[in-house]
Amino acid sequence: MTRTDEELVARSRSGDVDSFNQLIVRWERPIYALAYRVLGREEDARDVCQDTFLRAYRALPGFKGQAKFSSWLYRIALNLCRDWMRRQQRAPIAQMPEDVDPAELIARSEPTESIEDLVARRELSAIVADAMRTLSEEQRTAIILKEYHGMTFQEIADMQGCPLSTVKTRLYQGLSQLRRQLERRGQHVPELVKRT
Amino acid sequence: MSETFECGDTGALVAYLYEECEPEIRAAIAGHLSRCTSCASEIAGLGWTRRQLEEWTPPVSQLGFQMAVPATQRDLPWWRAPLPAWAQAAAAMLIFGVGLAVGLARGSATPAQISSTQPTAATVTADVASRTELSRLEDRLKSEMMQLRNTTAPPVRQAAASEAEIMKKVEALLTESEERQRREFTLRSVEMARDFEAQRRIDLATVRETVGQFQGVTGNEIRQQREAIDRINNFIRVSQQGR
Repeated sequence: MTRTDEELVARSRSGDVDSFNQLIVRWERPIYALAYRVLGREEDARDVCQDTFLRAYRALPGFKGQAKFSSWLYRIALNLCRDWMRRQQRAPIAQMPEDVDPAELIARSEPTESIEDLVARRELSAIVADAMRTLSEEQRTAIILKEYHGMTFQEIADMQGCPLSTVKTRLYQGLSQLRRQLERRGQHVPELVKRT
Repeated sequence: MSETFECGDTGALVAYLYEECEPEIRAAIAGHLSRCTSCASEIAGLGWTRRQLEEWTPPVSQLGFQMAVPATQRDLPWWRAPLPAWAQAAAAMLIFGVGLAVGLARGSATPAQISSTQPTAATVTADVASRTELSRLEDRLKSEMMQLRNTTAPPVRQAAASEAEIMKKVEALLTESEERQRREFTLRSVEMARDFEAQRRIDLATVRETVGQFQGVTGNEIRQQREAIDRINNFIRVSQQGR
């Protein structure tokens, strides 16, 4: 039987570490993906991910369930990312990992996908990562939370501590900026879209 | 329907893009998009950008974090598991309380009270036995003390003699050390005075040189100014003669 986050949190709070480990298994990938997209480095993302769960475990007695567990976890992860960036005193670097080779990608991919498609996908991923670097931290975070973690405008507003309208503005401006950056990097916008 | 959406309202367009708006507003925007090519193009462009974002995937990483609980805590039976802090504190309080009670009970029972209570044969015997034992112990201690005094007397004298020698040596060392310090202090004072004098001479020479340069510069300037004044005077004189 699959337990809900709330049930696992309640059990964890009463000292059941196995329940907390189940929460880790459930949420470590999304948290890692969030940290990676914000920070751009695999090893840093892994560290932040681990630190997020450690902090969450320590702070569990103070978590009263006023927000969703996932939102609480995302907030911890984002705060850690912000601290990391402040410590590093530099803009996040979104980069493709150097240790990923096409052969590995092929092995992991769908059998119907050709090598050309895989290489193109990898290139596009690198281009998108590069274009995301040009956005402000707020715009980038808003887009990441919306696009990859499916949060509502209100959840992002709560997470970023800003009005809902600001979230919409950040998303609109971020996407527009991203579009320009992608075009500048040689991405072909379909004719229908170009027509203004 | 068109009243609910204003052309160029980017917030509403974003809400439409992410399908996070009321159905009637959504219908109004859809109607507007069918007429306004600018907004339609904007929405299409944003949608295209979102599709590009789908390709940005983080690398597969080995995660598998787990909170570890020490085996000693996890597998021990309940009677061997460590007690929580409150239980340990309660146990400590209990032991302290019992000890205090026993101590108070003993302290409050004076010999007079003991004798006034019903004395039994056993307690009297114990009391007598302890007195005789105490007197024996006292005698033994006295004799041992006497023995100690007799045996340790000569070494004390020897120790006194050696102490006087040590004191003399210490005094000699102290005197020597003081003398060395005095010499070093004098030497350093002389060195400092010499350095100070040398630095004073260097500074003086530098000041003289600087003043000389300044005077030279000032003299040159005065000379140039005088020449300029002379030229002006000549010019005035010549012009007056010309008239």
